[in-house]
Amino acid sequence: MKPRILVLRTDGTNCDGETLFAFDQAGGDARLVHINELRGGFAKLADYQVMVIPGGFSYGDDVHSGKILAVELVSTLTEQLLTFLAAGKPVLGVCNGFQVLVRTGILPGGSPGPISLALMGNDSGHFECRWIRLRVEKSDCIFTRGLEGRVLDIMVAHGEGKLYTDPGRLAEMEARNQIVFRYVGADGEPTDRYPDNPNGSSRAVAGLCDPKGLVLGLMPHPERIVEVTQHPNWRRGGFHDPPALYIFRNAVDYVRAM
Amino acid sequence: MTIHTVRVAMRPELRDPPGEDVLYEIRRALCIDNVERVRTARVYRFEGIGPDEAELLARRLLAEEVFQIFSVDEPVLSGADQYLEVAYKPGVMNPEAASLLKAARDLGIKGLAAADSSREYAFYGPNIGADDLAAITRRLLVNATVEQVVTEPPRTLLIEGVSAPTRTHSIRSMDDEALLELSREKLFLNLAEMRAIRAYFTTLGRDPTDCEVEVIAQTWSEHCGHKTFKARIVVDGVEKKPLYERLKEATRLAAHPLVLSAFVDNAGVMAFYEGQAILGKVETHNSPSAIEPYGGAMTGSGGVFRDIMGTGRGARVVASTDMFCFAPPDMPPVAVPAGCLHPHYLLRRVVDGVRDYGNRMGVPTNNGSVHFHPDFRAKPSVIVGAYGLMPAELSQKGAVRPGDLGVVLGGRTGRDGIHGATFSSGAMTDRTVAVNASAVQIGHAIEEKRTSDALLAARDAGVIRAVTDCGAGGFGSALGEMGAEVGVEVFLEQVPLKYSGLAPWEIFESESQERMVLAVDPDDWEKLRELCAGFNVEATVIARFTGDRRLKVSHKGETVCDLDMGFVHDGLPQTVLEATWQPPVLTEPDLPSPGDWEDIYRRVMGHLNVCSKEPIVRRYDHGVQGSAAIYPYGGVAGDGPNDAALCALLPGRPYAMVVAHGLNPGINNIDPYQGALWAAAEAVANAVAVGADYRELALIDNFVWPAPDTRLLGALDRAVDALTDFVAATGMPFISGKDSLSSTFRGRNETIEIPPVVCISCFGRVADVFRTVSADFKRPGGEIWLVGRRDTSQMGGSVYYDLHGVPGGKPPVIDLPSLPAVFGTLHRAIGDGAVLACHDIAEGGLGASLAEMGFGGGLGARLEIPAGERPEWFLFNETPACFLVELAPGADAAALFAGIPAVRVGSTTARETVEAVFRGGVLFQTTLAGLRSAWLKPMREVFGS
Repeated sequence: MKPRILVLRTDGTNCDGETLFAFDQAGGDARLVHINELRGGFAKLADYQVMVIPGGFSYGDDVHSGKILAVELVSTLTEQLLTFLAAGKPVLGVCNGFQVLVRTGILPGGSPGPISLALMGNDSGHFECRWIRLRVEKSDCIFTRGLEGRVLDIMVAHGEGKLYTDPGRLAEMEARNQIVFRYVGADGEPTDRYPDNPNGSSRAVAGLCDPKGLVLGLMPHPERIVEVTQHPNWRRGGFHDPPALYIFRNAVDYVRAM
Repeated sequence: MTIHTVRVAMRPELRDPPGEDVLYEIRRALCIDNVERVRTARVYRFEGIGPDEAELLARRLLAEEVFQIFSVDEPVLSGADQYLEVAYKPGVMNPEAASLLKAARDLGIKGLAAADSSREYAFYGPNIGADDLAAITRRLLVNATVEQVVTEPPRTLLIEGVSAPTRTHSIRSMDDEALLELSREKLFLNLAEMRAIRAYFTTLGRDPTDCEVEVIAQTWSEHCGHKTFKARIVVDGVEKKPLYERLKEATRLAAHPLVLSAFVDNAGVMAFYEGQAILGKVETHNSPSAIEPYGGAMTGSGGVFRDIMGTGRGARVVASTDMFCFAPPDMPPVAVPAGCLHPHYLLRRVVDGVRDYGNRMGVPTNNGSVHFHPDFRAKPSVIVGAYGLMPAELSQKGAVRPGDLGVVLGGRTGRDGIHGATFSSGAMTDRTVAVNASAVQIGHAIEEKRTSDALLAARDAGVIRAVTDCGAGGFGSALGEMGAEVGVEVFLEQVPLKYSGLAPWEIFESESQERMVLAVDPDDWEKLRELCAGFNVEATVIARFTGDRRLKVSHKGETVCDLDMGFVHDGLPQTVLEATWQPPVLTEPDLPSPGDWEDIYRRVMGHLNVCSKEPIVRRYDHGVQGSAAIYPYGGVAGDGPNDAALCALLPGRPYAMVVAHGLNPGINNIDPYQGALWAAAEAVANAVAVGADYRELALIDNFVWPAPDTRLLGALDRAVDALTDFVAATGMPFISGKDSLSSTFRGRNETIEIPPVVCISCFGRVADVFRTVSADFKRPGGEIWLVGRRDTSQMGGSVYYDLHGVPGGKPPVIDLPSLPAVFGTLHRAIGDGAVLACHDIAEGGLGASLAEMGFGGGLGARLEIPAGERPEWFLFNETPACFLVELAPGADAAALFAGIPAVRVGSTTARETVEAVFRGGVLFQTTLAGLRSAWLKPMREVFGS
């Protein structure tokens, strides 16, 4: 049986189709589920093994990016969410999904609670869509097993992706190996320099996980680079077996072994 | 009820990007340097809850203490020299309000009756004068058509109004003068048309209601009726078929096997692969964008997306394009006519509008261009396109049956888009709005996105008989057209409204955004309603299709419209228009050859019509949906431009849709025939340059013209002839189009006509993305070939001439008969893998194309200019449908290009320079770095990065 992947959808979700495809390529059985189906009892989180909050502009990013959906998740689906997390099932949030996870408090702590991080407006002051380099850091994240040290070409497309928190909190996350991805320059080293670091994120952080490595959030879009022809320079040669696909495969493999 | 106010600001120690943005514009656009710093706050108002609940909302929803501070019912910004709060006017929908209500509900807060949000600005600087603040307010922060400065807190957020009764116009007793008077005031019809209306009602023995008159005026308007394009046209005494007829006939004669739907639906449809179809529509949105560029561009995108959604029985939007024409952004403010917005501001705000709608809808904006000419200083041209995907079997409109229900889906109806309407309400003390509605629409992309989600689910569930979008002309147009063959009865009291107080005719004619109209079998209604509720989309039955071929509209039992569909749709008297045409007298300037080649090359690269538009493209999400198989920019540094978009629409399959376009207003100014051909040839060349087969492409036309007098109509006639000649020569059909013939500005002291714009878009299918190429050079030592026919002495309309202040000259004459062979041969060569890189030649000529291929590849070139050429012509001639090609090692050029004009012009080099060799000597050598920085500079100056 293929593991069942829930791709959460609501007003303004717009990276759902490609996320579905990425998980299908990775061997999962991915389904789009509208949050109203969960709220109305027509679908249950418990029937799925992975939950994904894909990119987009949930509820127009009104107030803050991802905020309205974050409030809705923790206020109206509290029980289901807690049970899902307590069962040790993986959760992935990409771009807007990352913003939602941060605004529920699920990141970095692993369960809903006070908000300790912010994803603020980019230093450039505007939405930006470009290819950047992402280094996979050493962490306990189940999504990046076997990818450690690799540098991935990947697209960012966001206006609010600057990770900000107090230095103490950041050091704590670093000490716990919670930093999963960093923006790096051509030399493969983390950078504050625009546009290699496209938003001005503190210590070049692009993605992070909870202490158990089960909840991953990142600003760049791995689901947009799961096929060779999605790379901007595949015609120049040297790009095979898209590494980002392994992020999805790792999740599928992990829950298969559960 | 009491209103509580929550204010949220960035922590003082942190940067405030929106404030910095305003400061940039204050200094850059207004040249005011008294302002030292700007801080901003969000202001949220809540009616019907207590202060504790407001505080709860602040903590749980509005403010994040990691980076923000907040206050309840007191100021949050302090210490500034000036403060300003800007809010939407009452009656203008604030998209955020619905989210505030929803989140409050989710948090368990009860009793919240209304919510609103606005923004507060604090200006720091002891010398900020009242004049400065007024200029900042008027020119940057407040768009008076939709926004206002909040001078005292509102007493209520609830909007109420009393609707005006239905009135009749005593048209039967009007003489011609009175008819014209009525027309001038609100209808914009000519005397013959007004007389036709009078005759109709005289026969009926009654006078029309305001609703009836509005419906007729709307249906017969130039905007909806395309009277010029459908008119009989007499050119220099000789009658020719209507322009529209000619384009349709050319398509009919081309009998293209892939065309599924041409000119009959909201978009043109052609076959894709595996039972799917692709469709395209390109719209103009000039007037709204000139007045309110952000909202105008947003609603332009929203409208053209709905055209795709409302084609056949519903389609998904998969790509978006934007083509703009502006005056130069560095134009001195005094050169901009009074009452018009500066092009620097217009450009930035239009880009913001396209960005915010497309990105939020999740539609990749992956093809476009910006053109600059001083004569766009009063009125820009804003052209937006959209492309879609749908099952081929659903590509035709379903036939509406008597008994079917008319359903409105999506947004609510308000006063948006009603001409000259005035809004006032007794309940709203101090808050009165005079709405010039054709300008005032705020797009709500998320409403449209969820409506699209619901619509596609409804289509897949088989519950849509017919669908159309509700755009210009509102319900009157949408239901009127949908029910044209059967008749329809509309119940206006059922229509969900944004606020009360709309007169019946206003409900019927409102152009509120984000609405779709469906015809639904009554047995399917319940299923549709439930399905829509699942997507948070409102669906309401507002009409019934009858079978009596009448357009009947009632409001609470009162009949407000009862017209014969035949009269509404076929009663418009056909216009006869006179045109005249004088062939342009073309004189060729005698310019000396450049003394400093490096300098002229850099100036060409830095010309506004050649320079990189990357900062614009980066603001658009061009990767969403994961379909891109070629990106707008690629290459080693990610800044090498490509010629067309390729979207792999069926995940995991090799098929792609190609999208490209062409336009050249400068050449239209000289010779509209060659200008139109230039646009068509350029559009197709862009698609062919990535590997498309021209036999699998279709075309879309857009004409943006000054208000046509006989001379401009003659020019239009020539442009249409050029396009039909293009169809005849290539077999490529036009399947959709749009004209906008009102781009003349009549100011107090001057009349400004834009250069006529013919924009040709081109889209089609590509069988295998693995047999396509990008434009970046791939390896050093490769042979570079020039493919295509051109006479390099034809320099008219070129950037090179423009840099020398030459407005005319002989424009490139495109050799139509040779096009199919050039296009076909190049497609085969690319498909065979013999081509490593290909870039078409357009503005800036061969020189610009060569440099761009070099930027992408990180490779230079040695260019060998043939001995018989004049080097500056060879470098900068702009004949389209010519290509630079990098051949794969071992490719046999003679065999590949047999039968078409092709010549070897040099080779790629590892050294990043362009070295030009002429008659045995080095003419010049210049670095790619120097060319690149000239090329990047103009848009970086406008957009920052």
